[in-house]
Amino acid sequence: MGEKGVTMVRDLYMFSRGDENAHVVWFSITYHTDMGAEANINSVLTEIGVKLKFAYLDNTEPNGQGKYVLFTEVKEEAQIETINEMLRKIKGVTEVESGISGNRMIHTVDFPLNFLGERAVITRSRTILDILKIIRENVIQPDGLLLLSGLKGGKGAAKYVKGIMPADRNNCMAILRELFLASGWGKLEMDFDRDTCSGKVRVRDSFIADAYGPSDLPVCGYISGFIAGYMTEMMGYTFQVREVSCKSMGNAVCEHLVSIAPEGVNLEHIMKEGIK
Amino acid sequence: MIRQPNVILGNGKVLVTMGKKGELLGFFYPRRDYAQHVEESLACLHINNRLIWTNNPEWYSTQHYLEDTNIVITELVHGTGIKITIQDFTHQKASVMVRKYTISTERDINGTFFYYSNLSVGEMHKKNSAFCDPDARLLVQYWQDNYIGIMADPPFQEWQVGKAMDTIWWTNARYDMEDGRLQNNKEDIGYLNTVVGWDLDLKAGKSKEITVFIGASQKRTLLYKMMLELIQEPVDNMFEDSKEDRIRWLSKKNMVKLSVLDDMPETKQQIREAFNRSLLTLDLLNDPLHGSFVAAPEFDHDFEMCGGYGYCWNRDVSEVAVSLLNAGYPEYCDMFFRWCRRTQLSDGSWFQRYWLDGNTAPSWGNFDHSTQIDETGATLHVMYTYYLTLKGLQRAEFLESIWITVLTGAEYLMKRTLGGLHEPCLDIWETYDGVFAYTSAAAYAGLKGAAHIARAYREMGLSSRWFERAELVKSTTIEKMWLKEGYFAKRIADGKLDPTVESSMLGTFVPFNMLSPKDPQERKMIYSMMNIIESRLSVNVNGHHGIKRYENDKYIEGNPWVVTTLWLSKAMLTLAHSLRSEPGTEAEVSRLVQGSVKYIMWALKGATSTGMLPEQVDKQKGYPAWAIPLGWSCALMIDNILLLETLSEGTEDGKI
Repeated sequence: MGEKGVTMVRDLYMFSRGDENAHVVWFSITYHTDMGAEANINSVLTEIGVKLKFAYLDNTEPNGQGKYVLFTEVKEEAQIETINEMLRKIKGVTEVESGISGNRMIHTVDFPLNFLGERAVITRSRTILDILKIIRENVIQPDGLLLLSGLKGGKGAAKYVKGIMPADRNNCMAILRELFLASGWGKLEMDFDRDTCSGKVRVRDSFIADAYGPSDLPVCGYISGFIAGYMTEMMGYTFQVREVSCKSMGNAVCEHLVSIAPEGVNLEHIMKEGIK
Repeated sequence: MIRQPNVILGNGKVLVTMGKKGELLGFFYPRRDYAQHVEESLACLHINNRLIWTNNPEWYSTQHYLEDTNIVITELVHGTGIKITIQDFTHQKASVMVRKYTISTERDINGTFFYYSNLSVGEMHKKNSAFCDPDARLLVQYWQDNYIGIMADPPFQEWQVGKAMDTIWWTNARYDMEDGRLQNNKEDIGYLNTVVGWDLDLKAGKSKEITVFIGASQKRTLLYKMMLELIQEPVDNMFEDSKEDRIRWLSKKNMVKLSVLDDMPETKQQIREAFNRSLLTLDLLNDPLHGSFVAAPEFDHDFEMCGGYGYCWNRDVSEVAVSLLNAGYPEYCDMFFRWCRRTQLSDGSWFQRYWLDGNTAPSWGNFDHSTQIDETGATLHVMYTYYLTLKGLQRAEFLESIWITVLTGAEYLMKRTLGGLHEPCLDIWETYDGVFAYTSAAAYAGLKGAAHIARAYREMGLSSRWFERAELVKSTTIEKMWLKEGYFAKRIADGKLDPTVESSMLGTFVPFNMLSPKDPQERKMIYSMMNIIESRLSVNVNGHHGIKRYENDKYIEGNPWVVTTLWLSKAMLTLAHSLRSEPGTEAEVSRLVQGSVKYIMWALKGATSTGMLPEQVDKQKGYPAWAIPLGWSCALMIDNILLLETLSEGTEDGKI
């Protein structure tokens, strides 16, 4: 129980408001995703009378594995091992870990945290903003740098998504919308013409624009790059994405224009009069 | 960004630094210190719909010099059965680097060979311009009077001139490579990257050769002319010319037989190779036009973790020039002293450090209290050392040419040593302020050397004054700084002695001879210093001890330094040399020689795979650390080997 191996569940400062006398306990259950284990886990938990305070499923673990992390309150410490034993007996479950939360905090995430198949961390958007602002203040062509950074992330995300689920030009934008929500980046609305491969992507509550403060110019170049990289990888065309209005400029939402990139370099690019 | 090289190459016009996998880290033209035109320049394969950069960790690499040349062989082996051999060298005469790639494979491959560059021509990302002339098959990037051209044999088949850091990302050469084909954009401006490409269709067991030429010029027309002529020349001829050129240059050196190491043939061979490599390296660090040297090829351009090394320090060059002089290359001294005449400040001193053309470099020594008096002392000292090697008319001419420089330099030292101890200034390591034994010894040696020159110039009054002051500096330094524990204090600061053990006190013996082993009392002092340094500053790594600079050294983890280690071994060999003429000293001489050889071998263990001597050795891993290669380390290696050779001479069986 507890600190088994390198995988453990860590505190995230969400304070429990349940039974003051109970232990706050986490369980991390690893299982094969193709054996119906999720349903059986829920049945067993109901049977034992475990009331979930918080839980999440992650079926993107490598090698067809899924992870079910849940948090509950347990009166007697001895009960924890009983629950462990019952969970381990479920067909398809390969590993069960558990632990008591110190300081009565509810644990919410795995450590190390994974997202889209890679190590992930949770950070305040303010922290990201600090980095972005320092880049803007000190680097030549920061817009290009941030766009290229986002581009790399978008391409990587698309490659990963294609590897774990059927994704094509028909559903990739819906997946992108979910990705943005899941990662807390913002809410996407799309107005995209599949025939011309052009349109607009609106981002509500962009994590960058929300925290950036007032600006005369769009500030979400990283997100433009991410969308461009994602769409390029998903659709097989080269996309250009440019933020034309931004919440930091006083607009209600951030708006990114999406279109197929022109061939090569045009004189307009050099003259910087705009992208046609 | 800090990127330390594994190897360097060049000719009189360009200096190139490279990483272990043949990636260019620096391309300096027209001087060794400026301008550095390269951010990235390397090959990349596009095979099975993916890019395999030649510097990625998937490649197993080995790298070495072709013996006694500046030709670098890098071999890269990939798990998929692809092997790339790169022969890198510079043209014997032209400002052109030649990169001959031989690609072979164990399996059929069908892809593209790219040569990618992210250049910042003129050290500028902004306002660069690049174009590809498809008729000449020449790709050029330029800024002001700096032109860098890329040509190839066979000519490249496709290309891209792209924007490296722009929102129109699809023109970026890096991204353009991803599908294995290039857009052939002909020209662009701004912060750019470029790539040229060839089809790479190879059957298993076959190989393909592609030679990339990277040329530099100050004019577009000259670049065209040079590159178009060069492409007519067989690459093998260039290779042979480059090889012969260095072998011929090395043939001028004083021979080292090292018979003292006859019973250690492997060690002897390694040390002889190190001798040649150190000589070749120092020549590469030299600016043949101005006579100055960079301390090391610059690798910290933004001063992220130090003050940089790509400048000329009189302190370092004094060591370097004398080592080359003693090795049989007096011309470097001659050129350096011309440079010194030109760069001496109006008060007679020399500035902390200079650009190679003689302009004052970025400095934290702009005031009297932050200057480094030892640099003036060391310069005068080596001027006299050089003077002693000259004969007849050459000596008279040198005397005439250097006299005013010596006069003003010595008067500067007089002004800064009125009370015997020198006025507070910065130390040899450019870190501490105060009064130092090393700086005192340099002032002593500078004044002594100047006094000898004055005597030769028949300025007897000045000569006497300077001799007298030199002796005062010596006696006061010993009186005020020698501790009862048997070594010199690190410094006097705010009137207090700092008892920290400091390796640079060795300077009182070598190179400045303030303490003489011929004097029994001073010999005891020399032994005592060496013992204290060995016992208090040894760091065990790579199977033996290296010597760190001083106790509690915090600079770059407080590693042991090649400089301080070879300095100690030089002191041991100098002492051995002095003792040798005395009866009954055979065992002690043998002990000193054997001890010094261990230090020399320790220094070589800390070198790169190509034999580049670093400034430091990582105390945890034993890897070469920080400035690579460091001229001062090379100079001390040469000094050590020449001393070993001197000790070899006159021994009956060649053994000690």
